[in-house]
Amino acid sequence: MVKIESINTDEALRYMGYKENIDIDNIKDIIYDCENRLLSAAEPRYCYKIADIERSEKISVKNTDLVLEGKSIYGHLSECRGVILLAATLSDKADRLISLMNVTDVTSALITDAMASAMTEQLCDIAEEEIRRENGIKYTTFRFSPGYGDLPIDIQRDFIKVLSAEKKIGLTVNDSNILIPRKSVTAVIGISDKPLPKQKRGCAVCSMKDSCQYRKRGVHCGL
Amino acid sequence: MDFKKLLKKDYIILDGAMGTMLQKAGLKLGGIPELLSITDPEKIIGIHKSYIEAGSDIIYANTFGANSYKLKDCKYSVSEVIQASVKCARKACEGTDTLTALDIGPIGQLLEPTGTLAFEDAYDIFKEQITAGHDADIIVLETMTDLYEVKAGLLAAKENSDKPVIVTMTFEENMRTFTGCCIPSMALTLEGLGADAIGVNCSLGPKELIPIIEELSRWTELPIVVKPNAGLPDPVTNEYNVSADEFAGYIAEMNRYGIRLVGGCCGTDPDYIKATVKALSNLKPVSIHKNIPSAICSPTMAVVIDRPRIIGERINPTGKKLFKEALKNKNIEYILGQAVEQIQGGAEILDINVGLPDIDEREMMVRVVKAVQGIAETPLQIDSTDPEVLEAALRVYNGKPLVNSVNGEEESLERILPLIKKYGAAVLGLTLDKNGIPKKADERFEIARKIMNKALEYGIAKKNIFIDCLTLTASAEQEAVIETLNALERVKKELGLKTVLGVSNISFGLPNRGLINSTFLTMALTKGLDLPIINPNMEAMTGAVRAYRLLAGHDRNSSEFIECYGSQLQEKAEKKDADYSLEYAIEKGLREKAREITSALLERHDPMHIINTMIIPALDKAGEDFEAGRIFLPQLILSAGVAQEAFEVLKEKIASSNDSSVEKGKIVLATVKGDVHDIGKNIVRVLLENYGYNVIDLGKDVEHAEVLRAVRENDCHLVGLSALMTTTLGSMAETIRLLREHGCDCKIMAGGAVLTPEYAKKIGADYYSKDAKQSVDIAKEVLG
Repeated sequence: MVKIESINTDEALRYMGYKENIDIDNIKDIIYDCENRLLSAAEPRYCYKIADIERSEKISVKNTDLVLEGKSIYGHLSECRGVILLAATLSDKADRLISLMNVTDVTSALITDAMASAMTEQLCDIAEEEIRRENGIKYTTFRFSPGYGDLPIDIQRDFIKVLSAEKKIGLTVNDSNILIPRKSVTAVIGISDKPLPKQKRGCAVCSMKDSCQYRKRGVHCGL
Repeated sequence: MDFKKLLKKDYIILDGAMGTMLQKAGLKLGGIPELLSITDPEKIIGIHKSYIEAGSDIIYANTFGANSYKLKDCKYSVSEVIQASVKCARKACEGTDTLTALDIGPIGQLLEPTGTLAFEDAYDIFKEQITAGHDADIIVLETMTDLYEVKAGLLAAKENSDKPVIVTMTFEENMRTFTGCCIPSMALTLEGLGADAIGVNCSLGPKELIPIIEELSRWTELPIVVKPNAGLPDPVTNEYNVSADEFAGYIAEMNRYGIRLVGGCCGTDPDYIKATVKALSNLKPVSIHKNIPSAICSPTMAVVIDRPRIIGERINPTGKKLFKEALKNKNIEYILGQAVEQIQGGAEILDINVGLPDIDEREMMVRVVKAVQGIAETPLQIDSTDPEVLEAALRVYNGKPLVNSVNGEEESLERILPLIKKYGAAVLGLTLDKNGIPKKADERFEIARKIMNKALEYGIAKKNIFIDCLTLTASAEQEAVIETLNALERVKKELGLKTVLGVSNISFGLPNRGLINSTFLTMALTKGLDLPIINPNMEAMTGAVRAYRLLAGHDRNSSEFIECYGSQLQEKAEKKDADYSLEYAIEKGLREKAREITSALLERHDPMHIINTMIIPALDKAGEDFEAGRIFLPQLILSAGVAQEAFEVLKEKIASSNDSSVEKGKIVLATVKGDVHDIGKNIVRVLLENYGYNVIDLGKDVEHAEVLRAVRENDCHLVGLSALMTTTLGSMAETIRLLREHGCDCKIMAGGAVLTPEYAKKIGADYYSKDAKQSVDIAKEVLG
């Protein structure tokens, strides 16, 4: 289990559409309470695998039967020799806490849901940092998840299988390719031997750009 | 050779890893190892043989992941793969005494409530495997982390074969599985359901498993199984860090906890098994004297009846108008609210009774049991007079429940006790029979004895038999009070059974009922009452139990009592502040205040006046502020939540005056099949309820047909559908198609993160709702 001391609340507020001029005095206590309850409920865990890749028309991950299809991942890994496959989850305790709050107090459920998303990102940051350090990896791309760009979301199942993520961290995927527990992430991180050029991130390359909630509200998801 | 004979041996040696051996032989990660039984049977047989040579008494066939979910896109059927694998194992066993086990691992999908796989579907998946594996000698369920999934598997095994079943689960260092299942709950539940041996496998090395085995040994009389990994894997090389000899050394260390079945999991090979056989060869199994307590459990919480424990009585429609309405409207949220309130009040077990003449009690019971277990850890007491309802609930209950109830009539005993035995529950026996409730303590005692003897005949252990000597009303039968208490005392002392008593009945028809109730409760506790059934929201009642536990020495160092009451004075002082208006309370999110103010307002105004001149304008203001960007979503919902609080107060008033003028119309809401994201939908619900709409919330992951049914049953003219993932938009389209196909006279609004107005139109929705505020505007337009 990974120890996370506090949650990036600013990030969570942003997910909920917060803008600077808003006075949040009347929900400060609730936010604080949600943070504490989530921190004590969640069991953040991750697992990963480092593998070389082979480039033909598609990208195959060596020694596995995982194939990464699509232009966007191809571009994303164009300077890379290998990948870190990462899976991370806050465990079903986070889901259950949010379900419970949905019964008692929807405001807390909403806030905790956003907090959990922020915490999942923090977990991934910590995981990435640890993996880089433990394996002496210097240059990496940002995290690219199934469903980003044109990387198909239906590789989730194979992804989970290759990582044995069910056994290692209790992460599964349902028939709609939704990760369960819900507050979980899978991602491909490219590994390179040389510094990588600044990568294009943001709305222009995102497959969600036409339907994104953040964009509708005039904010940004942060990627 | 069979399993029973094998058990006469000191130790039963299992095999080591299959996957590790296959990977050593070059199997790629992500492939389906079970297919090798068809494509390369010699390799599989070879691995089995190497374990048999190493000394395995039972080998696990190569069937771990051979289920319909994991083989979905594969060209072989489940039964082809399983039969081929079992054949390989049998072939390897030829000419030896070694037995073949059908090996069943987790399905690969998480069950409800966290996941979307229904319990009944999980059962079917296991059933298919068990039927296909009929040539094996034994069934093994292993590497399980979800007690609910294990229950589905174990029931499927017991109902579709007569083979012995070995169950092992996978624990982390915090002594729990990934889904939070604790060791006592595992032992109580699986022993009850008829497992033949239980234990742990995988996840940790043998050293780390020692404390887990130690804990398990305190909770089960069954043979204990241990199959550890070869230590912990290196994340990069995947090499395990415990050698065969070290491994065997740790196994020998575990011998003191009474282990009987031993093998290896990930990272082990035949050398580990050889070393283990050698290490055990000069040891003898240790039999431990055990005193396993009387207890019931959910997966995450075992409640041991070693002191008075509170059973909450509030989930019961008797005499409760709002509750009856909630049942008729299938308003599960209301019932869940009652569950949470009681737990916060101090309930340690919740009674669940949903019996009402005009509803399908069986269906409702199953739903409520699943829903309550989805949010609460507290174990349940299943309460119904209908054996079919009891059985349905016993099937889907996750853990070991208490069943309320049987009585001294033959028919009741013969019908219900076999169910108790089959599903491994505890049972509550009422001391009445066809002649009614006997007046005298001695007669009630005799009925208790009869119930006990009958239950023992059915193989139900004494610690799972509880007796309720029945409370009569003091105002009507004053002398009966002492008879009840005397009967209770005799049952406890002479039969040695745990006792239960519904307390609140005592004061019926008297003034100051609370005083009578708490006094009677205290009297009963001193006579040996273990499980008072009370309203835990009544401070005097829970308080009496807590005080008793302190005074009787159960609450060591008064720690529970001080935790409950130590900070009370301070809180009371804080609550004293200035008077606010209801509008101000709604704007600032002052929940408690809103209740108080509303109650006070009701003395001077009628409910409609409060709604129209105070609540609605305050909500409209919040809506405007939200649209103008002065507040953001959680603040809007906070205000709506406070308004809802005020509504609750009004509803109680309205329910008692039979006025239904606040309700503006029914709206069915659902997050569509396959999708588990329900925050958005819940927000919409809160806001709609605020504006007086009667929302029928079907929850998340809702079957298409369920939406149709709800719309028809309720004659509903507006439906709100939510989907948050691109992968579930198709499911939304399908739901709409179904509603249209059946000619439902309803408007459909659709919303959710990935939806666009164009797509909503394309799939046939009448409205696209961009946020919760807009859904209210739509409702106003459609329903007025």
